[in-house]
Amino acid sequence: MRYLLISFCFLCVGCASYPKKNKFEKKETSDTFLRNTHFSDKTEDYIYKASIDIYKRHFGGILIIKKINDANHRVVFTTEMGNKIFDFSFIDNDFTVNHILDDFNKKILISILKKDFRTLIKENMKLTNTYSHHEDLVFETEIDKKKHYYYQTDNKISKIARVSNGKEKVVFTFSEINDTIANLITIEHKGIKLKISLKSI
Amino acid sequence: MPKFIFLLLFITTTLAAQTKMSTIEANALKEKVKTYASTINTISSDFTQYKHLDFLANDIVTSGKMAFKTPNMVKWEYSKPFKYSVVFKNQSLYINDNGNKNTIDIGSSEQFKQLNKLIINSVKGDMFDTNEFSINYYKKGKNSEVHFNPRDEKFKTFIKVFHITFNTKGDVIEVKMIEPSDDYTTIIFNNRTINTPLADEIFAN
Repeated sequence: MRYLLISFCFLCVGCASYPKKNKFEKKETSDTFLRNTHFSDKTEDYIYKASIDIYKRHFGGILIIKKINDANHRVVFTTEMGNKIFDFSFIDNDFTVNHILDDFNKKILISILKKDFRTLIKENMKLTNTYSHHEDLVFETEIDKKKHYYYQTDNKISKIARVSNGKEKVVFTFSEINDTIANLITIEHKGIKLKISLKSI
Repeated sequence: MPKFIFLLLFITTTLAAQTKMSTIEANALKEKVKTYASTINTISSDFTQYKHLDFLANDIVTSGKMAFKTPNMVKWEYSKPFKYSVVFKNQSLYINDNGNKNTIDIGSSEQFKQLNKLIINSVKGDMFDTNEFSINYYKKGKNSEVHFNPRDEKFKTFIKVFHITFNTKGDVIEVKMIEPSDDYTTIIFNNRTINTPLADEIFAN
């Protein structure tokens, strides 16, 4: 019985919520929506040199993100020499593969990229909770039924954590931010060995 | 006003006009390019690449240096706005992505072998293989522009047509690759020098 209690306690600690684990302080707010301004300017071409490290393999390319219209983004990845590797459209909640090279046409890869890019470009989200953490404000929301925490530093989104069972699964960081352009972005997956680094060009 | 519009339309169409070459002219150009290409041992050139995607406000501009040495070594070295180079040599691709080095063995891939051959032939301009392409010849001012339409169904899904522009000597000054979506990549060569000795070390990446 005692063992059962102890393991029960461990289980509780193990599944403690992300805000609790990180000692977030809950804040009362009247805000109901959260806005992410990265990639939100229709007049801007967002062009990045991309480095992708996956299971000790490294490859590069150019990532292009363009807001075509409200809730309509185009995401294209090409080699440095200009050959298109994939071309995706995100319109409202729909996702379309306009083009993908055969070698990259794998369901699991497309699913990962779709989730990551949706998080990058999604502008308006319903706020479920607001916290403070050191100097940051942290906003809690849900995308595709997964909890996401948006860290706001100096009025700019500096980090997004996709959380599952109280643990960070994917972490997006944004730095050297000028207006709607984050010059450096990293997307790091904790479960699989995948890291995408983007540098604005 | 209608007259003005008509005039404007006329001027624009005249400027953009390419006249199709006669068979005699086309054959003469082909011979000139082939003869010129056969004398090439090395090429070194600056290049500027324009990636055009229809939905972007501006083309993505990158630039660097290209080097070629017979029989089959090619290096594309981008220096702006990032450092990246790729060497095609001995059935392999050697990539140096700002210090991150990677080698891809292409010996086993027919597709890559085809790509390698294509890159070499296109920098020399000698792609006149009618089994692989249907070819159309045009005059463009003093220069010539040749359109190479791939015949291979798989290939067509990557590139709809290559446009290669030759100067009066028969040397390549511009390569444009148009995708099935009509997005394209244009490479413009500048300061192209032929047969300057190039050490093999240049092709170590």
